[in-house]
Order: sequence, then C-alpha cells, then structure tokens
Amino acid sequence: MLLHERSTTAGAILGVVAIVFLVGQQLAIMFGLFTLMSAVVDNSGADIWVVSKNVENTASVSNLPSRYVDRLVGLPEIEWAEPVIYSGAQLRLPNGTFQPVQVIGVTRPELHGGPWRFTAGGNDVLLEYDGATVDKFDLQDLGSPGIGDIVEVNAHRIRVAGYTEGSRAFGAPLLFTNATKARAVTGLTVDRCSDILVKLKPDADIRQALADIEALLPKASALTSQELARNTIIYNLTSTGIGSSFGLSTLVGLLVGVVIITLTMYTNVLNRQRDFAVLRALGARRRDVFAIIVYQALTIGFIGLLIGFFLLAGFLFGVKGSRLPANLPVWLPPAHALLTFFLCFAGSALALRRALKIEPASAFR
Amino acid sequence: MVAPVLQLDGVARDFSDGRVVRRVLKETKLDIFPGELTALAGPSGSGKTTLLTIMGLVLKPSAGRILVAGSDVRGLSEDELATLRMEKYGFVVEQAALVPALSALDSLLVATAIQGARIRPEIRKRAIELLDRLGMREYADARPQQLSGGQQQRVGIARALMGGPVLLLCDEPTSALDVESSHLVLDTLKRLSRDPHRAVVLVTHDPRVFPYADRLVKMEDGAVVYDTRTASGGGI
Repeated sequence: MLLHERSTTAGAILGVVAIVFLVGQQLAIMFGLFTLMSAVVDNSGADIWVVSKNVENTASVSNLPSRYVDRLVGLPEIEWAEPVIYSGAQLRLPNGTFQPVQVIGVTRPELHGGPWRFTAGGNDVLLEYDGATVDKFDLQDLGSPGIGDIVEVNAHRIRVAGYTEGSRAFGAPLLFTNATKARAVTGLTVDRCSDILVKLKPDADIRQALADIEALLPKASALTSQELARNTIIYNLTSTGIGSSFGLSTLVGLLVGVVIITLTMYTNVLNRQRDFAVLRALGARRRDVFAIIVYQALTIGFIGLLIGFFLLAGFLFGVKGSRLPANLPVWLPPAHALLTFFLCFAGSALALRRALKIEPASAFR
Repeated sequence: MVAPVLQLDGVARDFSDGRVVRRVLKETKLDIFPGELTALAGPSGSGKTTLLTIMGLVLKPSAGRILVAGSDVRGLSEDELATLRMEKYGFVVEQAALVPALSALDSLLVATAIQGARIRPEIRKRAIELLDRLGMREYADARPQQLSGGQQQRVGIARALMGGPVLLLCDEPTSALDVESSHLVLDTLKRLSRDPHRAVVLVTHDPRVFPYADRLVKMEDGAVVYDTRTASGGGI
C-alpha cells in the first residue's frame, strides 16, 4: 500500500539511500585510511618484519643492530633479509618553513621495501647517492619540487628523482631514498637500522620461522607483515580518535536512515489503519499483513540500495586519483546490502507491530 | 425450506473498559437465508454493527455459537476464520474504504491476492466482468479520488463479490451518498440478493433502505426487538 504512494515511498527510499551512501562513503574513506596506515608494510614484499622488542606497529620507533641481518640470513628458511631505515625528518619548504616527512631508506642494490607505482623514474633512482622519490599527491605539501630539484631534509641535500602515485602512508608524506642517504639524513649510524625485512623461502613455515627468529634474536620481535599491518591499523584507530570519529559518523548515517524509514513506514500504517482493517476483514491473516509490510520494506530497501550504490560508485569514481583515500573491499558491498536490508526490516518493526494489532472489526466502526 | 447460510444461536457480546463489563449485544438468535436482503436497523448504539461484525467473523462473541453453512465456527483459529471470510464472505463498508493508490481494477485484484495467491488471467477477467456488471467498467483504471461516492461504493461491492460470497455484509453502504447514488447502490444490492445462493445483510439507519429489504430486523439496546418479512418482499 505504501509503494503506491509516491511521496511516502520516496521518503522511505531517501532513508535507505542515506544509509547506503552516507555509511558506504564513511566506510570507504575509513578503509582507504586503513590502506594508507598499512601501505608501507603491505607493499614491502616481506613476509616478516623484525623490530625492536615490544614494538608492535610502524608508528612506534624501532632500533636494531645492523648485525642482526647477518645472523638472520644464516637461518635456512630465509631467502633474504634487509635492513630498512624508518624515521621522521623535516623538509625545508621554499618559503623557509618546514614540513614533517617520513624518510624510508632501503638497501641497495635490491631496494626491498622501496616505493611502488612510479609515474616518473623507477626504483633505480634510489641507487643514486642522493636520489629520492615523493608521491605526486604530496607534492603540494612538499613545495611542488620538480624532477631533479634539490630539497633540504634535516639540513641534507636530497634530489627528487622520481614520482609515485599512491606510495603514501597515514600521516606525514613519505620520502623514499637509499639507506645510506637515509642514515645521513636521520643521523642513524651504519651499525643501526630501524627494522629488518625478511623474505622466506617458498616452502618455509612462517610460524616456525617466527619462532626461530625470536630464538635467534631474543632482544627483537618478529611479526608477520599481516600482524604488523593489523597492529598498525588498530594503533592508529585507537590512539588518534579516527575510530571513534568514523564510528560516530557511520552510526549517525545509520540512525538517520533508520529514523526516516521508521517514521515513514509507521506514519503510513497509521494513515492506512482502516485499509489494513478492511484487508483483514476481507480475509488477510496476520502473516499476510506481515508479508505486506516486509515486502514493502524490502522493495524500498532494494530500490534505495540501487540508488545508494549508484551514488557511492559516483563518489568512488570522483575521488579516484585524488588525495582523499577511498577503498571499498569486495566483501563490503554485499555486507552493506545485507545490513541495509536488516535495517529496513528493523525500521519497519514499529509499523509492523502497529499493523499486526489492527483488528478487522475496526473496519466497521 | 431453504437452509440458512448463517445461524446465530444465543450470540451475545460483552465489552469491558477494565472495570465494568457491559453487555452490548444481548443473547440473539437469528438465521440469515439466501436469496434475501435483510436490513438490520436501529438507532446508534443499538448493537447492530456489533452484530454485523460477529456475523462477519471479525469479532468473537462472548457467548453463543455461529454456524456458517451449517458448520460451527467456534473451534476455528484466527487464520481459519480469515480464510473462511475470504471464501464465503463479502464485505461492503461505509464509504467503500478503497485504497487511494489503487485503481478500481487493482482494488478487486488485491482482494483475491490477499493470502498470497497469484493473479491469474481468469481472475483479472472476472474482475473486469464484475466492474462491467456494476456499470463501472469504464472506470477500471480510475483511482478512488476520481470517482463519486456512489461509484466508489459500487467498486466496493464489486470487490466484495470477487470471491463469490454466499454472504454479503454491508455496513451503512449509503450513509455518505446522495439520493441518486443511494438508489443505484441499493438497486445493485437488491439485484445481488436475488441470487438463490447468496444472502445480503445490510446495517443501516437510513430509512431509504427499508423499501428494498425483504426482511427488516430492528434492534434496540443490544437486542432484536422486531424481525419481519416486509411487504415489498423483493418487489422493488
């Protein structure tokens, strides 16, 4: 009955669109930020990260002896192990102010853990003494240096030799260079490194390798890349307030949608009480009334989902290639659709309760 | 002797406001026969609508038993009663109570699809035939707000006839109609009551109805005080 009333149907559909779009957009940005938070680890190519004891995420400072690398490569299951420098620094902008950057120094010649998605130059630019890469999304923050331009980082010369698109992380812009330059910039001596990246041989048991590494290096911790990525996301979520901020805005989106759906459907039932009573008198059972309301809710949910997903796709297309991170994992749209249908059903619960209470005798009063 | 389609045997109904129990329908014995138009008349509050809703199986009596086509309905569940209503009853209510968003034809089709049945082509054909019989075929696509009160009521009657009811119960079908529309509706109901397998019961306080009735049942203070075959006897 609701479906034939265009204005009320449009109101209910608007509620569903609010849920699908607002929540979907918030979640897409949140997962986009998750991707940034774990980007360095996810793109490192390593199976295991060896870090200082009790360090559990990339946001915490790790400092290890470089000699650990030689000990690690002695383990039979390890294919390679390379130190990486990971440290904050200050980049001097053309106007004299400073921009915090995250310097990542990777070891020549293999350059494991280096940047990804080049748009200008390639990994080989890091083989050069002072070569570095920056991401094009960070260019503006870094004073828009061109290829070949010299920038000053912690009072050291670094030459921008390559651009990437999407080699970004959560927080300060990344500046990839080789380990030698990174040590010079950050003041880390040659006998120290931040973390050690470890790649296992194809048939190696990762749990066994973790145990072997921790037995070999009791003053270090070994984490799988997945563990480190997850820990980093959790750390950022809990320590920065991003989790509660996105959780709140997602919740608001859900609430707005549910309230609109609930009010629209409930008002419709209130206005159509006599129609429901007549239907009951004509032979509709309670379960038929239940079916009518649920059918209405699911139909509205379906139409709202289509519109909402269309808008969401437009949003994702619009932010693609922009600084705003947005990422919708493949499992999210179906989960979001299920949640939306559930909320439509929940939103119709009040209307359902009211409609099921309508007595057929009231058609005659 | 024709068998009654509906028998009320000692039927009574009490209402309670939480403190006081009030008997609004006193013990009533009434048989409704097919081929007759029975008018149930009486002042407001006399219990005629309560009696009609009990006849229509939408309100359970506090006492007594109801037999539909000879079968006692006391043991039936709410769902079974709903199905019985759908199969054997037709209801015409005050101001038709058509769903504003549905066309006249859709209003009829909804009545058959009410328990989830599919609308087959023959059902659609029957709906169009009924609208035709009631002079409403050209309004099949019209919404209630595009119809006059009398036209709406005729759509309401057509809706009530969709299931081929043996008992057509009408609650004040002419109360909101002008004289001409009232006569049109009453003519229609009278014609329908001529079916030997169908009884028409009409609750009213509109004296224009009385000449159409084959039988007049008058109620006062929750009791039948007058029950007689009228002189018109179907002669309208």
